[in-house]
Amino acid sequence: MLYQVSHTTSYDYEDGVSFCHNIATIKPKDILGQTLVDYRLDIHPAPTEFSERTDFFGNTITRFSIQEHHKKLQVIAFSKILRDYTQAPNIFESASGQKITLNEALTALKNQKPDILDVRQFILKSILIAEFNSEIRDYAEVSFKPQRPIFEAANELMQRIFNDFEFNPNVTNVATPIYEVMAKKKGVCQDFAQIAIACIRSIGLPARYVSGYIETLPPPGKEKLVGVDASHAWFSMYIPTFGWVDFDPTNNQIPKNQHIIVAYGRDYYDVPPVKGVIYSSGQNKMKVEVDIRAAV
Amino acid sequence: MPVDTNTFFQNYFSSFRNYDEVLKSDMSINPNWEKLLQNLSKMGSENLLAKQKEVDWLMEENGVTYNVYNDPNGMHRSWGLNIVPFVIYENEWESTIERGLKQRAELLNLVLKDIYGKRELIANGIIPQEVIFAHRGFLRQCDQIEYATSKNLLVYSADLARGPDGRMWVVTDRTQAPSGMGYALENRYALNRVLPNIFEGINVKQPSQFFNEFNQMLLDAAPKNKSNPNIVILTPGPLNETYFEHAYLASFLGYPLVMGNDLVVRHGKLWMKTLKELKQVDVVLRRVDDVFMDPLELREDSYLGVAGLLEVVRNQEVTIVNPIGSGIIDNSGLIPFMNAICNYFLNEDLILPQIASWWCGQIVERNYVINNLKDLVVKRIDRSNRENIFFCEFLDDEALNKLKNEILLAPYQFVAQEKISFSTAPNFVNGTLEPRKVMCRTFAIAKKDGYSIMPGGLVRVASERETLFVFNQRGGISKDFWVVSDQFQNHIQNYAWGNTSNYKVSDMNDLPSNTAENLFWSGRYLGRALVTARYFRMVLNRMNQQQYHNAKSESESLILLYKSITNLTSTFPGFVGKGSKTRLKDPLKEITALIMDDDRIGSLAQTLSSFNNSYYSLRSLWSKDMWRVFDGIKRQWEKFEDKGDYSVTELSKLLDRIITRLIAFMGLIEDSILVHQGLLLYFIGLQTEQTMMNIAKCRSLLVINYEEHLQYEILESLLTSHESLNIYRYSYRSYLSLENVIKLIILDKDYGKSLSYQIRRIQKDVDKLPISEGAAVISKCKEKIALAHTKMQNLTIENLLELNEDATIRQNLDDVLAEVSELLHETSMAISDTYFNHSYMQKQLSNQNFPLS
Repeated sequence: MLYQVSHTTSYDYEDGVSFCHNIATIKPKDILGQTLVDYRLDIHPAPTEFSERTDFFGNTITRFSIQEHHKKLQVIAFSKILRDYTQAPNIFESASGQKITLNEALTALKNQKPDILDVRQFILKSILIAEFNSEIRDYAEVSFKPQRPIFEAANELMQRIFNDFEFNPNVTNVATPIYEVMAKKKGVCQDFAQIAIACIRSIGLPARYVSGYIETLPPPGKEKLVGVDASHAWFSMYIPTFGWVDFDPTNNQIPKNQHIIVAYGRDYYDVPPVKGVIYSSGQNKMKVEVDIRAAV
Repeated sequence: MPVDTNTFFQNYFSSFRNYDEVLKSDMSINPNWEKLLQNLSKMGSENLLAKQKEVDWLMEENGVTYNVYNDPNGMHRSWGLNIVPFVIYENEWESTIERGLKQRAELLNLVLKDIYGKRELIANGIIPQEVIFAHRGFLRQCDQIEYATSKNLLVYSADLARGPDGRMWVVTDRTQAPSGMGYALENRYALNRVLPNIFEGINVKQPSQFFNEFNQMLLDAAPKNKSNPNIVILTPGPLNETYFEHAYLASFLGYPLVMGNDLVVRHGKLWMKTLKELKQVDVVLRRVDDVFMDPLELREDSYLGVAGLLEVVRNQEVTIVNPIGSGIIDNSGLIPFMNAICNYFLNEDLILPQIASWWCGQIVERNYVINNLKDLVVKRIDRSNRENIFFCEFLDDEALNKLKNEILLAPYQFVAQEKISFSTAPNFVNGTLEPRKVMCRTFAIAKKDGYSIMPGGLVRVASERETLFVFNQRGGISKDFWVVSDQFQNHIQNYAWGNTSNYKVSDMNDLPSNTAENLFWSGRYLGRALVTARYFRMVLNRMNQQQYHNAKSESESLILLYKSITNLTSTFPGFVGKGSKTRLKDPLKEITALIMDDDRIGSLAQTLSSFNNSYYSLRSLWSKDMWRVFDGIKRQWEKFEDKGDYSVTELSKLLDRIITRLIAFMGLIEDSILVHQGLLLYFIGLQTEQTMMNIAKCRSLLVINYEEHLQYEILESLLTSHESLNIYRYSYRSYLSLENVIKLIILDKDYGKSLSYQIRRIQKDVDKLPISEGAAVISKCKEKIALAHTKMQNLTIENLLELNEDATIRQNLDDVLAEVSELLHETSMAISDTYFNHSYMQKQLSNQNFPLS
């Protein structure tokens, strides 16, 4: 499937901004199962400085600064992505990966081999997932049992979050602590992803945060509107002997071609799409528009 | 001469037995301390008491302070120095401590390089990954950054204490922005000054050479611009606990003391905002912790750092001392692995022993800790403050269980240590010596081929006799730390620079704009304080006279004066607006509030407290004399408040004292700061404020037309508060007339206190301000003050005296004073806009208030 994606972030500044420094984690990944065919980043006004580098987690981050006075900032990422999830290892084709139990997984993770060391960092607490209280652990232990395959358990966890939590964009923001989300059982995709990650880490397994896009399909017979798509987030769990498996608790599905991956991190903090420091005295308004459609 | 142990060691061991530095258990004396104890004996107990007082006084006078956060009385708490130093002999120092510190500094340097580089220690199983990855100080943003300096770890500090085996042990490593060097230096100076006798016959090593090397390290750290690098000292600001030291080092080393908003990142480089332009910075000696250094990449809510700084570091356009991310080494989780690390890198064992420690991330160790919790001290690997150290022997069962659960939930975050009883050393308390626990902070500086160690350091003393632990963040008592040699040592020098320093005295163009702003406001607050104090004093004196005369015109004129107070201080409604009738019945109540109440905007107390704030922000510029005088003001004030007598006479006496000291202080400012250091800004602020206040006085006293007798009293009051009555008598030798008063205090071109003269002077000073980069050729502030000057020149006495139709007021006088006052206000605003920081309010693009701490 060949997609074209445009992701527009605009800021309107009430009093104007004398200059700003920004970081965008916005370039889709070029990995097995997802080929980045074309990519362009347009920034208005044109930045004075612009550079790209790879961060600690292997994501491409773009740094730019604008050093002239401006009242509006627009960051538009255009990309063309060839998505074919069948190219990547498929958990449904791995009988052993589906069978590995929690006990087996925990033992396998004690290994000091470089690839295991690398995933073990995702067992630890992180900045936004700084506390695994007993409530989170209890919620996780409903699904995760010592003799039960962890894939099955994670699948069930995803399902339970989908059923127990209400999608509601007006309850939380990026700074809402996970225990509060846990208590309210309401939130958006990044909250659900982070709840799942906290649960999985609380029982000692590695889980990471995935930032990306999801293609939404119009109701049958209707044409798709521009900009109805959104940035999306889900989680990924490491299954020893197999590898990382993605789960989308917001939609209760294992991502296939409709999910486009931009970045991996420990949680949202590591991979916010656009962040920055501005020098201004007034308020600002932000607007995000994402449009994903089949490329022609 | 034998040591008189009877006097000094009375009760030394009475209730507290422990390993002691001086006295052995058989009551014999450690020979290394003998000479010092003889010197102390010679001085005698009485004399020593007096000397201790003198040291305390000197510390207070010199403004050596240590702020304690979250403690209302903790601001600017005086630093305590006990007159009995801590002694270590050269052979022990050189053979183990110095060698051990050099080894450990080098080792931690290699660890730091490895953690943010190849991570071989983890890959090869020398340290568990979690010790690093679960530590909050491991900043992924700093991964793989390369530095141009010879070492990654440029400053290192270790807390040492003597263990029961008689060896010095390492208790804590400090690597982000270790404090204490400045205090150590000041301790040495103070002891030298107050107790020169105590050094008699003892060769104490001096830190002069070390500070020289420190300076050289900063110069060498510059990645570019090697011949004349620009070095700044970055402080979190006057509220920080060790702000005294930041200012002290800035003035000792001769580098500007800056705050985050003095600096800015542009075009891939770091710049300091100065009055004239942006000036590139090559080296930052920071006293701000890692995560606060860059709000773009690190802690978003930080106003202490500079947005975009890390990228400048990555591109090797600036060096931060120590590098951002070095906090990962402040890590008690490393302790159990240090010997293995030492063998891995250096193929040798650690020279300095450490406290036995168990990292709970390992199963065997964790089980040991859980089973023996009661006998251990538990810490989080990434927090070394008191709140996060658990002395388990003092915990009850509930607290122990809670801790156990916390450990089991995230074991890799905890380390347990053996509880150790460290040695005591004598402290001079109430005329005798008392054993107290001590902790020695030592310092290392990177050189091209190794590390150089400060001979001595800072010794901290437990606050009470029975206290087992010495805490570093809490102020308390300190000691001078002597490394004693058999060889003769040079006397300590005030400034010990060799020819290595390339530091060039900069001119006003390079003045950090934050400093300039604080100087400007210091001037304004001082001007306001002085004018207000004099005015209150005049009114109080009038009130005093009235008690005896009770003439009708006097009480009428007093009411006018009360009303003018409200106008002058802008403390409405006061004596003019709503409720004024009640207040006029008991005017002293309102006046007392306007003097003493620091919550009341416009009051004298509030003006002084605003001045206090700008003053502390500038302390690296002030001289010791200024500290003394300023402190005198505060003490007068406190004494007065303690006494609580708010009578007219007492209030006026207080004002007398405050005014004298304010004037002395202002004289000292002019004496001790150079124009290019920013005195000009201070003058502009001072003159502008005084002039605006004078205009306010004239507007409220001269505009209305009074009958003759009342007029006389008003004019006399005005001249008194203006300190111009004598000059008037000298110049006019006549009865007070409105015409002559206006001529003298408004129009006279040669009289220093006249409006005309003051405006001319402000104009001259404003014209000297540098032309700011990017500003219009004639800047706005110069334009405004020129307009005010022209206005003053065109005034005529006839025009000013002219009465309106019903002969009640002098409209022309009021109009012109109002216009000039407005122009002064606009000049002041224009100076702010052009030269200060207001246009750069840093904000997050979207508010992401993460709980990072």
